[in-house]
Amino acid sequence: MLLVLSEEQKAHLGCLPRAGGAAVGELGRLALELLRRGAAPRACEAAARKLNVGVDTVQHGVEGLTYLLTESSKLMISEADFQDSIHVLGFSDELNKLLLQLYLDNRKEVRSILGELTPKLPSYHNLEWRLDVQLASRSLRQQIKPAVTIKLHLNQHEDQTAQVLQTDPSTLLHLIQQLEQALGEMKTNHCRRIVRNMK
Amino acid sequence: QRFRFCGDLDCPDWVLAEISTLAKISSVKLKLICAQVLRDLLGEAMEYEKILKLTSDAKLESGDVKATIAVLGFILSSAAKHNVDGESLSSELQQLGLPKEHACGLCRSYEEKQSSLQDRLRACSLRLSQLGSVGWRVDYTLSSSELQEVNEPLVHLSFQLRDGEHSGMVAVPMALSADKFRVLLA
Repeated sequence: MLLVLSEEQKAHLGCLPRAGGAAVGELGRLALELLRRGAAPRACEAAARKLNVGVDTVQHGVEGLTYLLTESSKLMISEADFQDSIHVLGFSDELNKLLLQLYLDNRKEVRSILGELTPKLPSYHNLEWRLDVQLASRSLRQQIKPAVTIKLHLNQHEDQTAQVLQTDPSTLLHLIQQLEQALGEMKTNHCRRIVRNMK
Repeated sequence: QRFRFCGDLDCPDWVLAEISTLAKISSVKLKLICAQVLRDLLGEAMEYEKILKLTSDAKLESGDVKATIAVLGFILSSAAKHNVDGESLSSELQQLGLPKEHACGLCRSYEEKQSSLQDRLRACSLRLSQLGSVGWRVDYTLSSSELQEVNEPLVHLSFQLRDGEHSGMVAVPMALSADKFRVLLA
């Protein structure tokens, strides 16, 4: 699979051959920092001063490199495909080799950062429970009515919410039975075949 | 095999694995670490630096120190939860492979604090809301725009609730006529 670079991205990356080998290393490092921590305008300004080019050039170069890294890591393209994709930019062999090395060295880390960007459902944080027995109420004396009160703590995007639920023991047993049946599905032939093929 | 301090269930695998880490620490130091973990369970601050100093002789890594604190916390709170006495806890821990002096030291610390631990666990149990206080006021309405002579008492009540989730007091005010108030009291 080949990467398709738009004209704008080609123009952004066009500043790289002028900057030279050491500069590409510096810009690559800035691109990774951008992925790890977000934009750092001061670092770009410092790099621009050190390499004697405009801040805009540095910024565009970093953004172009970031796109190159994220797209190639996302698609997990092979070395040959990567080299063919950047061949269209018309860089020297040495520069191509540097970019390939940058891609291969940091592929795993970029993939793990990209993996954390998926939307998340609320996830389990804590479960508190309480078993009560209602002995009497205003309308009826001398009863025995057990009830289980559950407080489910959930986490979503660093927000904590709590849901309070109440049920009687027989419904709770039915719930547990249904959940155990769901877990039991993993042991059927159908699921076992798929899990084996995924490994 | 079933253990009383695990609620008559099997002992979790991670607890079994960490018992051998506990055996690496000397029994005297283990008793001091227990005291710190009990302080944390009772809601006071735990002094982590002291625990680090006590475990430095046994050359435990930072992961092992945290595992030690976790397993001690589990054993002590689970034993209090299931109301296990010190001697049974000691014999069960020895069955799991903890040396005798370590188990005895641990259980002595546990016995001292067992009732305060259980009180603390009782207070932490799930509670939806709690009544803080009730304020009341009785007014006497003389007249209104509708009727010139009203002459009716009116009761104002304000319940201060402590809501479990948003720790803070919520006020629930209400006003009742004399008859309604009598029905409430009946």
